[in-house]
Amino acid sequence: MQTNQETTNALERRIDITVAKEAVEQEVQARLKHLGRTVKMPGFRPGKVPLKMIEQSYGGQARSEAVGTALEKAFAQKVQEEKLRVAGQPRLEPKAEAEDGALAFTAVFEVYPEITLGEVSDKAIERPSLTVSDVEIDKTIDVLRKQRTNYETVERAATADDRVVIDFTGRKDGEVFEGGQASDFPFVIGAGSMLKDFEDAVDGLKAGESKTFSMTFPEDYHAANLAGQTVEFEITVKEVGAAKLPEIDAEFAKSLGVADGDVTKMRDEVKANLEREVSRRIKTRIKEQAMDALLAANPIDVPKALVTREAEQLAENARRDMESRGMQTKDLPVSADWFTEQAERRVKLGLVLAELVAAKDLYAKPEQVRALIEDFAQSYEDPKEVIEWYYSQPQRMAQAEALVIEENAVDWVLNNAKTEDKVVDFDELMGATA
Amino acid sequence: MSQLKQERLLKVLLAPQISEKATYIADKNEQVVFRVVSDATKPEVKAAVESLFNVKVKSVQTTNVKGKVKRFGKITGQRKGWKKAFVCLQPGQEINFAAGE
Repeated sequence: MQTNQETTNALERRIDITVAKEAVEQEVQARLKHLGRTVKMPGFRPGKVPLKMIEQSYGGQARSEAVGTALEKAFAQKVQEEKLRVAGQPRLEPKAEAEDGALAFTAVFEVYPEITLGEVSDKAIERPSLTVSDVEIDKTIDVLRKQRTNYETVERAATADDRVVIDFTGRKDGEVFEGGQASDFPFVIGAGSMLKDFEDAVDGLKAGESKTFSMTFPEDYHAANLAGQTVEFEITVKEVGAAKLPEIDAEFAKSLGVADGDVTKMRDEVKANLEREVSRRIKTRIKEQAMDALLAANPIDVPKALVTREAEQLAENARRDMESRGMQTKDLPVSADWFTEQAERRVKLGLVLAELVAAKDLYAKPEQVRALIEDFAQSYEDPKEVIEWYYSQPQRMAQAEALVIEENAVDWVLNNAKTEDKVVDFDELMGATA
Repeated sequence: MSQLKQERLLKVLLAPQISEKATYIADKNEQVVFRVVSDATKPEVKAAVESLFNVKVKSVQTTNVKGKVKRFGKITGQRKGWKKAFVCLQPGQEINFAAGE
């Protein structure tokens, strides 16, 4: 076996491998003999099939296997000698010109990049902070109230924010068009669920009144046959409902899951939830910044093979995600190309993180993992069971460990980079990552 | 013999008989074993093998193989019999079945 290495691009390597034909031939015969002991063929007892016949039917297979293993062995040996870290699978290309009695191949593969950890000390990280005060709680409760808006039937003309129930018939050139007819159709004026012209027309009508008007659909309307067309609508208002926000009382508290309807308790609960959410979002933000800082500090090339694999995995996940939401993935070809950028970032991060962890000894310590899992388990009914569930499966433990390692890395970045505390606005924090 | 029609020759040979016994014989006597139609004659088999496989045949022996008696419960049945032809090739000749496939 003979090998010699050439370097092509930054991460791609080529190795020429030659395998002696004789050795392969021997290997083939050995394999066939081994096969002959078990192979079944009509007309022969097992193990009594003549070697010649076995070679006829299994010879090619045995040969390719023998060549494959021989190459793999030669390749692995070479890789070990040169201390190369191969990323992905090598691509083997048969070479035409070979010496007599030998098979020549070229193995093309990529290696993991050498990472020297860059400085993060000059990277600035904002540490958002926010204390949940009464203002924020009131805001949240307002949102909750709006979600539970009731509508009371009133005897007055409909205005904005009222809910109206109507019958309508739309005609284009005297013909009722598809989707242009409905009865007992409720909608809220000003909520934007209907076209503005339509809402304006309903505005000011009382229950029992009807109106005929014509309107023009916008050019970019989603139904192509209606876009830009003028149609005539005939509407009858059946009911006008005024919006009524629920009072903050025991009833409201109960609807939020506070069993005894205690309003102070409800406030406390809302506050606790908010605080949890805020700290979670702050954590995500810091993490994102830390990762960005790490990436910026360590510009590296990544092996294409890894990116492709990662992208394929992401695409597969997206596909499964869509399927579980009941979408037909056949109609939506999810291409791995869409995820290339994301995949590249992930691969880079993975490599940098691995290097960082190894260099700074940020491995997950058992007690850290334990703390994390216990923290997880807190939000379940039976924490003990959840903890056991985690510890019973190495896969889940690995997940938890990965999380811990990530946290360690983030902490390390925070300790080493410039950090500055910054008070953020509640709305901005909740909106930005929502 | 030369009058034998090509059409008939194509029908004479049914299949090579591949078995442990047949391989043993082939090794020992340079013979090849065929299943042939039951009314085939030795000259027919010889002509058929020569024309289909492009080899020289020294001699042909044939035997009628009786079908096995098989029982399914009370009912006995008789499998069809067939004719086996041992074709002895002239020295140096060979038939490679796998190559023709």
